[in-house]
Amino acid sequence: MNMKWLEQWFEKIEPKGKWAWLGSTYEAFHTFAFTPKTVTRSGSHIRDAVDMKRSIIIVVIALLPALLFGMWNIGYQTNLAAGTDWGFWHCFWFGLLRMLPMIVVSYVVGLFIEFAFAQYRGHEVNEGFLATGLLIPMIVPVTTPLWQLALAVAFAVIIGKEVFGGSGMNFLNPALVARAFLFFAYPTHMSGDKVWIANDLWGSDAIAGATPMGELAAGMHPSASALDMLIGTIPGSTCETSVIAIALGALLLLFTGIASWRIMLSVFLGGGLMGLLFNAIGYNEYMQLPFYYHFLMGGFAFGAVFMATDPVTAAQTNTGKWIYGLLIGAFAVLLRVCNPAYPEGMMLSILFMNCMAPLIDHCVVAQNIKRRAKRAAAIGKEAHNG
Amino acid sequence: MVETIKIKKGLDLPIGGEPLKEVIDARSIERYAVKPTDFVGFTPRLLVAEGDTVCAGQPLVEDKNDTRLTLPSPVGGTVTAIVRGEKRRLLEVVITSRTGSKSSTNQPNLTPDSPCWWMIKERPFGTIANPDHKPKGIFVSMRDTTPLAPDLDFALKGREHELEAGIKALEAYGTVHCVKAQGPHPAGNIGTIVAALDPINKGECVWSVGAQDVANIGRWCLTGEYRPERVISGGGPAAKAPKHYRLLCGANVQRICDVQLMDTSYPSMTGSTTTSSTRIISGSPLSGTTIKADGFLGMYDQQLTFIEEGDQYDFMGWLMPGLKKFSFSKTFLSGLMLPFKAMEPLMPVKPSFSFNTNMHGSVRPFLFTGQFERVFPFDIYPLQLIKACIVGDVELQEKLGIYEVEPEDFALCEFIDPSKTEIQTIIREALEVLRKEAMA
Repeated sequence: MNMKWLEQWFEKIEPKGKWAWLGSTYEAFHTFAFTPKTVTRSGSHIRDAVDMKRSIIIVVIALLPALLFGMWNIGYQTNLAAGTDWGFWHCFWFGLLRMLPMIVVSYVVGLFIEFAFAQYRGHEVNEGFLATGLLIPMIVPVTTPLWQLALAVAFAVIIGKEVFGGSGMNFLNPALVARAFLFFAYPTHMSGDKVWIANDLWGSDAIAGATPMGELAAGMHPSASALDMLIGTIPGSTCETSVIAIALGALLLLFTGIASWRIMLSVFLGGGLMGLLFNAIGYNEYMQLPFYYHFLMGGFAFGAVFMATDPVTAAQTNTGKWIYGLLIGAFAVLLRVCNPAYPEGMMLSILFMNCMAPLIDHCVVAQNIKRRAKRAAAIGKEAHNG
Repeated sequence: MVETIKIKKGLDLPIGGEPLKEVIDARSIERYAVKPTDFVGFTPRLLVAEGDTVCAGQPLVEDKNDTRLTLPSPVGGTVTAIVRGEKRRLLEVVITSRTGSKSSTNQPNLTPDSPCWWMIKERPFGTIANPDHKPKGIFVSMRDTTPLAPDLDFALKGREHELEAGIKALEAYGTVHCVKAQGPHPAGNIGTIVAALDPINKGECVWSVGAQDVANIGRWCLTGEYRPERVISGGGPAAKAPKHYRLLCGANVQRICDVQLMDTSYPSMTGSTTTSSTRIISGSPLSGTTIKADGFLGMYDQQLTFIEEGDQYDFMGWLMPGLKKFSFSKTFLSGLMLPFKAMEPLMPVKPSFSFNTNMHGSVRPFLFTGQFERVFPFDIYPLQLIKACIVGDVELQEKLGIYEVEPEDFALCEFIDPSKTEIQTIIREALEVLRKEAMA
């Protein structure tokens, strides 16, 4: 494909003189179309083909199975609740039309703020939001009003990320900051049994449809079977219900090495161990729930695969990643079972461990420092004695 | 006598242009240069003038801080040029060799004022060995694992007795460890070897000598002849006929470049286009120095690498499947092919990757973690150390093990970094601050 004309067009419109301040915006679009022709100057003369854009786009691709399934499931749940008889494509188109405005709002609001901050700082626009902006509409109830979503995105990008210096400097997962904002600012829109099912295409009259965790918190046994939860044909946040679709994304993230297998595995381990512990106690219905139900319900799998593994806000050392993941899984199940005020513990558990991750790393690195100091001291003593 | 270590972490780049096991005698090259910039912390004072006649091994420059450290002329001949850069910084002393000139007459043993002393490097900091220091070991790597490096067994064939004599001479200064590392690059780096056997603590130092230089020291001690000879590899994806060359240190590369970059007579090795220019690197593609086609090899380098300049745009490079792009991360379709490397002999078309000097992306903050650890076989947290160097926290750098590393140990980290950070430069600058502090 000969794209010479586009190369020349970009070179022609490069902002100069009084437009030079638009450099960040120009650079963002230019590097979107073309990987730059910059060559190495020092150090390694050759470089790996991977860059930030490629890494982030892998995350976006990994989200697609869950996104597509979620779209279908929105339609399917409405169909079930309304007692109609929609076909596969009808369900899918219905969900697509419900999801699309949310995705557009999330990207437009978030990218506008990202570009504004990049321009203001004279930085290049970071591509991290391409993943965040898709994650946010995927983890909220389908009935979330668009203005609330816009507010949440703005809050997440500004308070969750940019005030700390932008991508790579934040300590909280921005997508979860958005969800936490909605959860605490508009609690009635975020939980209960009236928010999970879209009524008609543009309406917002509530239809009741309880999530398995909602039922459990109310002291009932979940009406959905484990198989339903595995496939994802249950009410829930837009795109978090299908464990199979999430697993497809997880496979891509693990194969490409973009997400840490240590974190993913340890979150499930932590959750499983906590579930088994509760099984052993067996005090109430929730505690007696087989431990693997926790993996299938709510946002556990989605959080483990796409949220806990965010490399910026996770622990950075390999040992730290094990501890970080184990505790996320354990706390998530603990919150679910023991705190009826929050039916879903995954979000708060990950945010809490985001805060703890620097401390974990500090302790892990301190061990390395201690080891080195000990080695030096031993040598010093030897020299002294000799 | 040769110790072995086994390293698991690392990466062997599937880069094209591996030199054939065939040595071309290039000792007839006429022009040589001594470049004081090849030596870390060396403040040169010129001892000769243009037009002077010098013999092989005669000092050309000395270090202002320690006049025992000198850089000798690799050949006998005439000083034909003294090249200075900005602020009159001494860049090159060029010698044109004359046949029949005698080697300098000196006591043929290894002392700080013998012409071979510069071959001994000291860690930390990578300077010429300080004769006042007592190293806790002298390390010689018997296998160079850098991409496209010469096979040292092959390069040292026939020089076994010189090698032995060199080791004997070095033993006067400390225990000599000749180590043959097994495993992927950077297994053969001195840093990796020292870290595996006896890591450096603050206040300690180790020395290292290149295996071919040990043989050169041996020759000096046996015969009193100073002839810093090397077998170098001349290869890389843009080289037309990758081969080994036997030559002397600091040789002019013009004649080799003429052959390697010729458009005709040799079939192209990688099918690379000749439209864009080629970068000529003295040293490895991971940490060498760019030189001109009529430039000179670095004094410590045993590789000449030819790589195509990648100054072209790549349309939607971040989205395309990328069958020809090499990535450690497996984020390109080429990553699917790599697991089948074992089946390569059966494949009709061998996977070949186009390596060029393109950055393949723009500079970003560090986002991803855990990648560096996979190519960094040290008991050190690489990302944390790099960050400590960026912020200039000297105390933290020391705690995290800065004395155990050299920039080249981070070459693979820099290569695989999706944030495109210039890690080797960051480490070098941090080490320079520490070195100057240690001197003061």
